[in-house]
Amino acid sequence: MLSRALRIVGLVLLAALMYVGFTRQPGPAAEDGKIHISYWEKWTGFEGEAMRAVVDEFNRRQDEIYVDMLTISQVDSKLLLSTAGGVPPDVVGLWNSNLSSFADKKVLLPLDDYLERAGISREHYIPAYYDLCEYEGVMYALPSTPASHGLHWNKKLFREAGLDPERPPRTMEELDAYSERLTKRDETGHLILMGFLPTEPGWWNWAWGCYFGGSLWDGGDTITTDSPVNVRGYEWVESYAERYGVTSLQVFRSGFGNFSSPQNAFLSGKVAMVLQGVWMSNFIDKYAPGMEWGAAPFPYPADSPELAEVASVETDVLCIPVGARHREEAFEFIRFVNSQEGMELLCMGQGKHTPLAEVSEEFLAEHPNPYIQVFIDVAKRSRTFSNPKTPLWSEYLSEMNAAFDEIWLGEASAEEALGRVRIRMQQKLDRHLEQKALREERP
Amino acid sequence: MRAKGPLSHAALHMILLGGSFLFLFPLFWMLSTSLKPIEETMLTPPQWIPSALHFDNYLKAVTHGREILGYIPFLEYGKNTLLLCALGVVGTVISNALIAYGFARLRWPGRNIFFGITLATMMIPFPVLMVPMFVLFRELGWVGTFRPLWIPAWFGSAFNIFLLRQFFLTIPRELSDAAVVDGCSEFQVFRHVILPLSRPALSVVALFYFLFTWNDFLGPLIYLTDQRMFTLSLGLQFYQSQHGGTEWHLLMAAATIVVLPVIVLFFFTQRTFIQGIALTGMKG
Amino acid sequence: MRGLRRRELWAGLAFVSPWVVGLGVFLIYPIVASLYYSFCDYSVLDRARPIGLANYTDLAKDSLFWKSLFNTLFYAALAVPLGLGLALALALLLNSGVRGLTVYRTIFFLPALMPMVALAVLWLWIFNGEYGVLNVALARLGIQAPPWLTDPAWSKPALVLLSMWGVGQAMVIFLAGLQDVPEHLYEAADLDGASWWDKIRHVTLPMISPVILFNGIMGIIGSLQFFAIPYIMTPNGQPARSAYFYAMYLYDNAFLYLRMGYASAMAWILFILIFCLTLVSLRLAARYVHYEAAP
Repeated sequence: MLSRALRIVGLVLLAALMYVGFTRQPGPAAEDGKIHISYWEKWTGFEGEAMRAVVDEFNRRQDEIYVDMLTISQVDSKLLLSTAGGVPPDVVGLWNSNLSSFADKKVLLPLDDYLERAGISREHYIPAYYDLCEYEGVMYALPSTPASHGLHWNKKLFREAGLDPERPPRTMEELDAYSERLTKRDETGHLILMGFLPTEPGWWNWAWGCYFGGSLWDGGDTITTDSPVNVRGYEWVESYAERYGVTSLQVFRSGFGNFSSPQNAFLSGKVAMVLQGVWMSNFIDKYAPGMEWGAAPFPYPADSPELAEVASVETDVLCIPVGARHREEAFEFIRFVNSQEGMELLCMGQGKHTPLAEVSEEFLAEHPNPYIQVFIDVAKRSRTFSNPKTPLWSEYLSEMNAAFDEIWLGEASAEEALGRVRIRMQQKLDRHLEQKALREERP
Repeated sequence: MRAKGPLSHAALHMILLGGSFLFLFPLFWMLSTSLKPIEETMLTPPQWIPSALHFDNYLKAVTHGREILGYIPFLEYGKNTLLLCALGVVGTVISNALIAYGFARLRWPGRNIFFGITLATMMIPFPVLMVPMFVLFRELGWVGTFRPLWIPAWFGSAFNIFLLRQFFLTIPRELSDAAVVDGCSEFQVFRHVILPLSRPALSVVALFYFLFTWNDFLGPLIYLTDQRMFTLSLGLQFYQSQHGGTEWHLLMAAATIVVLPVIVLFFFTQRTFIQGIALTGMKG
Repeated sequence: MRGLRRRELWAGLAFVSPWVVGLGVFLIYPIVASLYYSFCDYSVLDRARPIGLANYTDLAKDSLFWKSLFNTLFYAALAVPLGLGLALALALLLNSGVRGLTVYRTIFFLPALMPMVALAVLWLWIFNGEYGVLNVALARLGIQAPPWLTDPAWSKPALVLLSMWGVGQAMVIFLAGLQDVPEHLYEAADLDGASWWDKIRHVTLPMISPVILFNGIMGIIGSLQFFAIPYIMTPNGQPARSAYFYAMYLYDNAFLYLRMGYASAMAWILFILIFCLTLVSLRLAARYVHYEAAP
């Protein structure tokens, strides 16, 4: 009898498990009569909290739409998988660097009609940021929080090295000379402090040629990875590896902690100068409070003063994936984030500047980053750059990272490594253009 | 004794003890690191044994950042993993036992050819199936759900069919014939004669499948899109990508949480395990 | 009798029916589809367009394809023989009548149970350049340790070293094989005055050669699909793609670049490669492997 009872219990349990295993779906169900839209965001921590505040504000004012915000790591590959799998979210927060390849693969919904209806256009924005959302003449996103990059330096370490803590290097040559003065080794010869490291933070390994005036692609059918200026940029990277020795640099670097931790190379005082975005101020406040620091435009090669106008920018963006169920509602939310009120709430919370042309005075007055104006000015420069808008960017980026490794580790010269990348990417680009033509011919 | 070597017993033990040390050390190191305060993870020379046992690291690892966004719900992942394991194990045992019975004890035309095809499919590597399976599950609307990770288990797998068939073949035919004469249907023979005698083989299949699901990484990586539905393996990788590189003590605590159940299970089922593995090699 | 036959036919089909579905839906269909996709330009989000052999000819020109293939074969060529050797050596030691066999066996087997992800995370810590325990230990022995995972020359050897830790499974299989070698063969060899080495060479190895073959083939198949560990430990095959393996490139093409056709072509090449290697092993086996006549 007992075994029979047990069996029944087992079967019921199994049925219950099967029910859960079968029906468990991503995202909660709407029960309050509102339309629930799912929103995937990559931010965690205080940046996520800032977005959460904006979402809460939107939800508070709405009686028809409810935004469910979910933090997703590696949001770009998860978006590809879920869109390809037919279960995308309604809104997704990506990086502008994703847009060209995602738009080309038809992962993202064109927003032109929505923008026109909402009366949103380029003049409402700092042009550099608006343009980052466009691909082949079509808008696929709107900015959420933007960022321009600049050189951050540790004033205390400058002082210890006998440098003027208020005067950052302006040219690449000065940067190298400062770095030389700042670098320290212990009695056994191990590095304990580096003035500057081109491997830090490692997010823009592809960009060094651009700081020397280069570009990776001509915008049409030619890949220009190994143009002389690009080669010059990476020879500059190489010079650091050669001067300080790859092995000791690698050992030194393996002691760096995560970006978002007190063991961050810059925050822990292991690297004195670093290329970072406007957000760095937040992490300094959080993990190295009391650190004396400054921020300035990144140096340019002394022989090309016109490059003083060059600056790198990027922006987080909000998009609607193809296959999203609630597109109108999704856009309604994106639009709210892009109102001056929503945007300033968000960007203040994340310690960034706003991508909008109009900024309230309180925003600037209350902003926690003492150098916020530096970053705004940088973003308004005439020659901003970001990653090239090629549909092959994710492959290109992976190639550039590998080439950077090779150059850094002395496996190949800058010219060889970049040459190899050009050949590979040219092949891929040729094939891509061919297949694209084919697709247009036989839709 | 058997192939007694040129080594004396003492030398043999020395080598084996040395080997044991090398094999156990990484596990010890994981455990040791997981119980340290963060400062002690960054000492040179390393602190071999934590100065005090920080069991709270485990609590921190599973509740890391609970108050903030991006919190990694390890307990939830544990539940998801157990659910998938349970459903997969039950399905695998039931389906493969049925199928293997069909191959082992019943004669029908085409059986041997079909069995040959079945064996041949064992050679197909998962990457070959990966893309079309994804497309298939997309068409079914299963991407992003648990379904792709357990429903296929209910339809048999070549390896387990093979394993169970071999076992069923060793059960004397007279037993089932007698039952048939007594008026049992084939299913009753299967249920009341064969299954009770096949406990060891069924446990092997169940155990292997449990381990497979517990350890699987590529499947969840492809099919699970929602962070709340991750499994432990995927969750650990997620945790590593978020907090790796610094908080080694917490990462090791999380890793221990993923490893420990497997080791405990192994200690309780050692015999079945070792026999099962030996079995896979034997008839290969 | 005829009634019984028919009964068995229907019953047989009923019993194997789940497998008919499973084989068809989860194996045969995907294989056929995969072959078709490999001749297509296919992104999942757009319909598949046949492009003939373009994926295959592109692969032939794709230096990263060759690099990932080289890395994979390099890894397999080191990890499989070394793993077999170590597993066999351990099994032989354990089989020599040592006391505490089960304890040792458990210890050597334990790491083989580790989930891949946990294994990868743990060894990241052990290999760590600054605080890694391995380099400290080597330094104690007076060995200048290489910067394992950050040096392109050492990243693959590091992964091979790690794989040695998981030989327990092969060892258990070997051990079972060794225990099945009939005692009388050794006794006969003893009568002939054979040395320990003679017995290993002329009795043990031939008798367990089918097991060696099995473990070898399993090792090859496994290492050609090497994915989870490098995906976590050497993301993107860093440094300088020295640890970028075939399955990683396949995964990236399929799910990062959504080039499903290209990925399918890679999958088929892998399939054919595994097929050929298995065939070669079996041919070699026909020459060297000893199958005992059925009792």
